[in-house]
Amino acid sequence: MRRFFALLWFCAVLGASLHVGVSVYRGLPLQTDILSLLPSEERDVVVQEAKDRVTQELMQRIVLLVSHEDPQRARLGAALLQDQLTSKKFLQPVSDVPSMERIRALGSAYFPYRTGLLSEDDREQLASGRADSIVTRALSQVYGVSGAVDGRLLARDPFLLFPAFLAALPLPVSKLKLIDGWLTVEEGGKTHVLMTGVLSGASMSLAFQQSFVAEVDQAVASMDDVSVLRLGAIFFAHASASSALRETASLTIISLACTVLLLLLVFRSLRPLILSLLAIGVGMVSALSLCLLWFGEIHVAAQLFGASLIGVAVDYALIYFGQAFGLVANGPSRLRRVFPGLFLGMLTTVIGYGTLALSPFPGLHQVALFSCVGLIAAFLTVVLWFPFLETYRHLSLLSVFVGLGTAIWKFWSLRAFGHARLLAYALILIVAVSGMSRLSVDDDIRHQQSLDAGLMAQQVSIMAIAGLSQSNQFFLVRGRTADEVLRLEERLAERMKAEINAGHLRNFVSIARFAPSIERQDENRTLVRTHLHERLHSYREQIGLESIIDEEARDYLTLDRILSAGALALVPKLILFERDDAAAHIVTLEGVSNVAPLRAIADDIPGISFVDPTADYSSLFSIYRQRALVLILVSACLMYPVLAWRYGFLGGMKVMLPPSVALGLTPACLALLGIPFTFFAAMALVLVLSMGVDYAVFCAEDNGRKDPFILFSVALAMGTALLSFGLLASSVIFAVKSFGLTMAIGLPLAYLLAPAAGNVRVVNRRKEGGV
Amino acid sequence: MAGATCTDAQTASLREGEILRGRFVQERYLTGFSKPVVSEGSFALVPGFGMIWQTEKPFAVMTAITANGLVQSVDGAETTRLTSARLPFLPRLYAMLSGALAGDLSALDSEFSVTKTQDGRASRLRLVPKRVDVASAAAIQSMDIHIVHFVESVDILKPGGDRDRLVFKNQVLRKGEPTSAELKALGAHR
Repeated sequence: MRRFFALLWFCAVLGASLHVGVSVYRGLPLQTDILSLLPSEERDVVVQEAKDRVTQELMQRIVLLVSHEDPQRARLGAALLQDQLTSKKFLQPVSDVPSMERIRALGSAYFPYRTGLLSEDDREQLASGRADSIVTRALSQVYGVSGAVDGRLLARDPFLLFPAFLAALPLPVSKLKLIDGWLTVEEGGKTHVLMTGVLSGASMSLAFQQSFVAEVDQAVASMDDVSVLRLGAIFFAHASASSALRETASLTIISLACTVLLLLLVFRSLRPLILSLLAIGVGMVSALSLCLLWFGEIHVAAQLFGASLIGVAVDYALIYFGQAFGLVANGPSRLRRVFPGLFLGMLTTVIGYGTLALSPFPGLHQVALFSCVGLIAAFLTVVLWFPFLETYRHLSLLSVFVGLGTAIWKFWSLRAFGHARLLAYALILIVAVSGMSRLSVDDDIRHQQSLDAGLMAQQVSIMAIAGLSQSNQFFLVRGRTADEVLRLEERLAERMKAEINAGHLRNFVSIARFAPSIERQDENRTLVRTHLHERLHSYREQIGLESIIDEEARDYLTLDRILSAGALALVPKLILFERDDAAAHIVTLEGVSNVAPLRAIADDIPGISFVDPTADYSSLFSIYRQRALVLILVSACLMYPVLAWRYGFLGGMKVMLPPSVALGLTPACLALLGIPFTFFAAMALVLVLSMGVDYAVFCAEDNGRKDPFILFSVALAMGTALLSFGLLASSVIFAVKSFGLTMAIGLPLAYLLAPAAGNVRVVNRRKEGGV
Repeated sequence: MAGATCTDAQTASLREGEILRGRFVQERYLTGFSKPVVSEGSFALVPGFGMIWQTEKPFAVMTAITANGLVQSVDGAETTRLTSARLPFLPRLYAMLSGALAGDLSALDSEFSVTKTQDGRASRLRLVPKRVDVASAAAIQSMDIHIVHFVESVDILKPGGDRDRLVFKNQVLRKGEPTSAELKALGAHR
């Protein structure tokens, strides 16, 4: 029967290997988009859609600042960069900066509707009865020295309201001047030319990142003494991916090398090592195959995280081979001895990993399936194949390890160590209380990642030189019709003016500022008629204007009519949707320095929401950190019935106690080290629980024999897990470091406390030797 | 030569630390107007800072033009502010006016073709945009500058048929610092 199951499993593994082999041959469908890992949980789907739109928009943009003492060389450098990146299809052939022709076309498109168009300032002047100041401005332009006055314009727009409207349009502004079609600023004896662009490929695609950044590097290197600063999500993503790949490669090599060395030192034979690698390999291949079948693709993060299986799957092989140190003489007997522990350990770990599927992170669903399948496959490999593949009679263990194992057993069981145990309990209590009183949490998403310092410095320089201040916060404006949305935007604009004056933000861009609502256009016409027409006669006499030409359109300006000019590349992107029954627009913000009054505006005006993705992600992390703790409770509740069935009601509790204490002590220890508790630390605690329960189960399965070899096997398991997870504590990425540190503290604690479960007795033995 | 005090026989050109002051009359010929819009006042050109045009009659308005833009104010209150970032013709307007008055048009070489004719002590310069986009950006068709010692007059022909004629007199070139009022006016747009 055993041979039949072993053969069956061999066929299954062969099938999975063929499947994976064919998939690799065809090109593994790898998902690398980091965004797909982030929680997409947003109760309001329109807000989520708007966030995705704005995030996508920001992520696809790049800014290069080309500087040189000679203005011509700076402009030539920018032109070369743009030509090279556009001709090789890295950038879309569009520009934020409209050409003169397009600006003129925009003016022509607006012109017929001019009496319905007023700048905010002019509107306010007229509405507050200060029409004289508009007349004074017109006179100052007619008599003053400037090139803006035009006889034909004066005949059609005598008070020059139209140029004022055009000048107030929220076109991209900064400290830069438009010279020869290039945004330029002169500072520090140098001419800085700003080149902006929209990427033609996905900024989160690793392949696109690499080829794009290589192209920029090459182009910059070919321009001798021109300096180029970079700004854009793709540069940060490329730097992060490169450092993560370097870090992953070095950590994997160190982890693997140390694990191999440890096994060779302990077993002084290659076979346990090879068979352990076989169990891991089968686990990985089976997991990969099932993930590809289930999801149709695999995320690199799931693969990387799943690779940490090395640390857990090897446990089964180690516990199995650990029996070779004892007096059990052959494979089948060794399996009988460890099977219940392995089975329960596997079951509880699968429950632990399985609860990851309940987490809100889509990427973790893949991790959950990958890990559970991998663990089950590794377990099956150990129990079905190992007894046939190893022929050890007996292995000797260094006496120091035997002595150490025996001492730990004695500490937790002998009456003589009663006082020492009391002291340990007191120490645990002190650490727990003092640690918990210092516990701090950090949910700020900006602290969880590590941004490249060099690129950060370049970003600061570009923003300072060019006066850019892009903000990822925005308003979402919703209504039943597009015109209602425009009216809401106009109410918003009135409130925003005060905030701009108060210095809470620098500017904002809304559709209504380009194409006012019908109601607003009517109001504007009325204001002009009421307050300026009566002054027209004397004004005309004063300047000598003979006749007025009235040729304006009688209908209303709509956005479509001005978009055809092609000067407003960014404006259509502010329309989230416009349907028959509903419409939603985005209002983008620049230079936000205080969000509280902006939130207050949104609270005051129904239909307007203030969206702050960074703050939202941070508050999501806070919610998910709390949920992760609930996940631990759920995980423990799911594990307990299995343990209670095996060890009885009280026995089950005693097995749960050591890992639970380790779980409570770990955040306290982190706090004593001055490290804040994060969502990622909470996720690590899920694993500390499942591995800690494993350790306690192996000790409980000893059933009072006080076998030092069991404790040594568990120590080996803990050591290899530390080599896979604990090493992450050295990561430069705070989220990963937080995860690794939690494991590095939690696992040894779980190990040291696990023998306390050795006093538990098995009450249900039906499963023992069940293969 | 109307009122110039400098005795140098050559065309005057401004150096750092010098300020050119004088009076001007602007005649603006606009389509649809029965007679030209005439205004007069004083000007100051401060190298490195900008230009100030103080129109006094018939309507008092001060125009401060720098490379960064243009600000007009009436009785100390700002009426118009245009930045070079928004209106690309402003840096050209500044370069043209200050270049013409300062006797240095080298900054315009790349975009305008300059023809010079000499008539005794007087010379005439004609500036024509080399490309359509430059004409469109600078909002001029041509610019004629009459120089004896200082610039005597400037005629600007605009694309729609409008034209401006600026006549200068009482020009004085002196070393010195700009007044605090001038600095304030120019500083407002630096």
